[in-house]
Amino acid sequence: MRTKLLILGFSMFFSCLYAQNTYNSHAAITSRLKNLATKNNASGSVQSIGKSSGGKDIWLFTLSKGEAAKKPGVLVVAGADGKHPAGTEINLLLLEKLLSLPADSLSSVLSSKTLYFVPALNPDALEQVVNKIKYARSGNATSTDDDRDGQLNEDPFEDLNGDGLITQVRIEDPTGNYILNKKESRLLVKADPSKGEKGKYLLISEGVDNDNDGEFNEDGEGGVNIDQNFTFDYPIFEKGAGEYQASEPETRAILDFLYKSINIHTVLTFGLSNNLSEAPKFDRMKTNKRIVTGILEKDALIGDFVSKMYNSKTGLKDAPAMPQTKGNLTQTAYYHAGRFSFTTPGWWVPKVEEVKDSTKKEAPKPVVAKKEDSSPEADFLKWADKEKIDAFVNWTSIKHPGFEGKKAEVGGIAPYLMQNPPVKYLDSAAVKHQRFLAELLKAMPEVQIVNPKVESLQNGVSRVTVQVLNRGLLPTYAEMGDRVRFVYKVKTEVKLANGQSLISGKKTNYRGALDAGEVIEYSWLVNGKGKLTVEAGCPTAGIQTIELNIK
Amino acid sequence: MKKYILLLMGLVSLTAIAQKDPVISPEDLNGIRAIGSPANPKVKVYWNKYSDQAEITRICQDLAKAYPELVKLESIGKSVEGRDLWVMSISDFKSGNADRKPGFYIDGNIHANELQGTEVALYTAWYLAESFQTVDFIKQLLKDKVFYVIPTINPDSREYFIKSANNPHSSRTGRRAFDEDGDGLTDEDKLDDLDGDGNIVMMRRKSATGRWKIDCDNPQRMIPAKQDEPGEYEMLGYEGIDNDGDGLVNEDATGTYDPNRDWAWNWQPDYVQRGALFYPGTLPETQAIKAFIKKHPNIAGAQSYHNNGGMFLRGPGAAEDDPFYDRADVDVYNFIGKLGERMVPGYKYFVIHKDLYTVYGGEIDWLALNRGVFTFSNELMTSYKLFNDKAAAERGSNQEFEEFDKYLLFGDGYVQWKPFKHPQYGDIEIGGPKKNYLRNHPGFLLMEDAHRNMAFTILHAQQMPKLEVIEVNNKDLGGGLTEVTATVINRRIMPTHSSHDVKYKIERPDYITIKNAEVIAGMIVENEDFNLTKEQKNRPEKLEIRNIPGMGAVKVRWVIKGKSDKAAIEVDSMKGGVVSKTI
Repeated sequence: MRTKLLILGFSMFFSCLYAQNTYNSHAAITSRLKNLATKNNASGSVQSIGKSSGGKDIWLFTLSKGEAAKKPGVLVVAGADGKHPAGTEINLLLLEKLLSLPADSLSSVLSSKTLYFVPALNPDALEQVVNKIKYARSGNATSTDDDRDGQLNEDPFEDLNGDGLITQVRIEDPTGNYILNKKESRLLVKADPSKGEKGKYLLISEGVDNDNDGEFNEDGEGGVNIDQNFTFDYPIFEKGAGEYQASEPETRAILDFLYKSINIHTVLTFGLSNNLSEAPKFDRMKTNKRIVTGILEKDALIGDFVSKMYNSKTGLKDAPAMPQTKGNLTQTAYYHAGRFSFTTPGWWVPKVEEVKDSTKKEAPKPVVAKKEDSSPEADFLKWADKEKIDAFVNWTSIKHPGFEGKKAEVGGIAPYLMQNPPVKYLDSAAVKHQRFLAELLKAMPEVQIVNPKVESLQNGVSRVTVQVLNRGLLPTYAEMGDRVRFVYKVKTEVKLANGQSLISGKKTNYRGALDAGEVIEYSWLVNGKGKLTVEAGCPTAGIQTIELNIK
Repeated sequence: MKKYILLLMGLVSLTAIAQKDPVISPEDLNGIRAIGSPANPKVKVYWNKYSDQAEITRICQDLAKAYPELVKLESIGKSVEGRDLWVMSISDFKSGNADRKPGFYIDGNIHANELQGTEVALYTAWYLAESFQTVDFIKQLLKDKVFYVIPTINPDSREYFIKSANNPHSSRTGRRAFDEDGDGLTDEDKLDDLDGDGNIVMMRRKSATGRWKIDCDNPQRMIPAKQDEPGEYEMLGYEGIDNDGDGLVNEDATGTYDPNRDWAWNWQPDYVQRGALFYPGTLPETQAIKAFIKKHPNIAGAQSYHNNGGMFLRGPGAAEDDPFYDRADVDVYNFIGKLGERMVPGYKYFVIHKDLYTVYGGEIDWLALNRGVFTFSNELMTSYKLFNDKAAAERGSNQEFEEFDKYLLFGDGYVQWKPFKHPQYGDIEIGGPKKNYLRNHPGFLLMEDAHRNMAFTILHAQQMPKLEVIEVNNKDLGGGLTEVTATVINRRIMPTHSSHDVKYKIERPDYITIKNAEVIAGMIVENEDFNLTKEQKNRPEKLEIRNIPGMGAVKVRWVIKGKSDKAAIEVDSMKGGVVSKTI
């Protein structure tokens, strides 16, 4: 008993630790998930869906009561691009919050839905955030020749000032084309000759040109960014995208899981693009081609509906524009796997309002932000200063072997921070997204068989009629799903007992997605008496069976 | 004692003779030998039939055993059902490191019903090994190059096509099972061999409302009734039963995907490109081959044998990829393709998307555009071969095949119509072409076409780069410095990097290195007459050359300390091989 208490005490201690202000290593994520599964073994389980190229497990946490694969599912993924550990943390916090819900409110969700979490899809790259030298690393452990010169990883970053952070180096040089940002003098901007500006600094990443090819740190460790390696709109021969579509084991692991989990209705990604704050618009020009590159018409309406739900439930606003990127997971989940696919970074730099001087009476002048003065970096620093976050490495002189006799200084915004704040800021992000997820689950489709009817005709022949209805607020699956081979159609089947035979009507009926509230009616002429069953639905919206009796 | 000496001398002279031609059999030296074919091959193969996996394995193993210095056999992975994917590496292993020679990749049978690709690949391996001693051209070829031959890259479905009931077009797929209709069951409604003869043929039924009739010129053939004429029959599709009672016949067969839509160049999903799976490389066979090819960056040329129609196909599979084929690369293809039209009568040199149809995610696009390998795909067998003439009848009609069947095969090509009692359709008749007719060569045409297509592929392989350091000039610069200028020539039409490769830097540059010399500076000579050079500041001893063009040369120069008499020049090209020259 005592040992059990001790273990409990330890695990509580550890879960307190998790709430601290650092991001997790893969080992910590692993024990965090395993702990959750042990503590919640009635509804949670953890399994590996594959290994990264560096040999780390890609964990899947399944939250379900009963047979997971038999219920409509939502897959929540994060950490496809390793420079976004905040997504991973939000994903984990979200899972933890769901598991700490009162038992009855959790089981009411899980009685009819399954939730899948893959919080760290690119564990090799995510690990960099806890490594001794920090740089926002996107790529996994695959060896890549990023500059395609025949040598591997021959020009990595160097931590020249020994602070454990890879920032930038500015060098005073007549050929430099950077100057100081007028409003935020810690930052540099490109000189604009048309405004009479002359450059003063060269600006490079923190490191030396090890291979003397004139490029700085163009081929370091850090192979393929999984979020560039997916099949839709794949960027050929681009740095970080891998040798070819789906070349990486992480990419294949999640796609295998997604395609085979035919019950997954929606994929929610915490990543570096955003189609939730503002939904993508329908564009017929992009959809009437053989290769579809725009959201289908009905799906665009759903995107709008879900976007409104997102904005109202999370209360988040002022999202920076984060367009979809080439070869990413979220677009592939929609365009190729045919599932609804939503994505958000989960957290972004909040807008800092100009402090109004209350002593002045006159109406404040509208502040027109000048393009050259305001930038995401400047806005970030403004917020970080307000929050007293140590976000900037002040420019300090160093000796740079590539620029002997010149004034070289290391400095800049610390890696990760702009998209990954100290973890204490993520708890409220997780709460907001939990509200959104709960609402999304409520809106999920639900196929029901309603108004069943048995009419007796003459001489033992009866007409059996049913209506199949989608009672949810979302379609049974995306319109795109009707094009994709591996998304299964809505099926209605009559199963006769011995001694019964079908005179009219097809035994098995298939049709495309049922929209919210849409009904379809089927009838059969059956010869014979006794019980028969009708089954209707599809994996993404649930399958219902009813029994009818022919007297 | 004298006797002994004589005997000894006799032995010596015998040994001398044996050493001269140790492996040429007497049959190859007398009139038994038909020109072009080994008369007494060590490995016996009948080239007028098709091979199953056991026979393929036997031929590969026997070749490796009979010619250990020429043929190495390895399995590069397993198919879905666990069969070995055999690769034969064929080269003169005694001369040089085979994996650093320009490599030529050959596979066949990606579509399992297209059997003869395997036979052409096997024939090529067999011919190269058996002709090494007798044909000087082949001896030199295997000295310079290495061939990687995979007779079948779809062994499961090949076995299924051969051993189970099929029609000429079925089993294009592999054997991985997928649930086709979303009922959670796989393979519950396959083709059914109603009469158990191993062939899936057509079903017809006499019908007052049918719109088909028997062709009075050929009772085997069904033709549509004329517009104003009543028909006699309705056609019910391929032999089959509605096994699962869903009102559909043969709708859920195994596979039904296309292994040649599983490749990572412009891969598209099933609704864009029928036959695609989850992502390129869903199949273990594709993964194994991709891994093999990535491990062998020396592969500069490739051939993937298909059937049918008599075509030498080059990419791209989709029109939007046309810009990736620029003039210089197309010139290489044109040279080989146009010569091929002469070498294999009836075959045409075509571009896939222009002359055939659009293909996304095809194997040869991956080879050509992702790996920068000059690749052809031959569509073996054409109706031209039946009477050595262009088809007189319109496309899609099998008139030539019917005639050929009558006069040269004596009816062996077709199952004659016969009555059958069908559980769902009632009284029907079944008949039609056998599975090995129409697409796969009749036996006596197989060997000839195998040889001609092999010759086309050898032409292709021979044009892979062949590098040579042809000229090294020394100039005394005074002050104890010497200027060394070397010219490296490529004696074949294929460059060491396709233009596409150069543009996207697919393969690393070629290196030209001077060894045993203290290098002060190194440069590429762009124009020797006007002394235009481009200096390489970093590692000047190992000059990086983006490309050595086909039938072209590059000139490089170093300034070294002292004399160059101990120096050597080495050219190291991934696709062009390694050559060196001592000054």
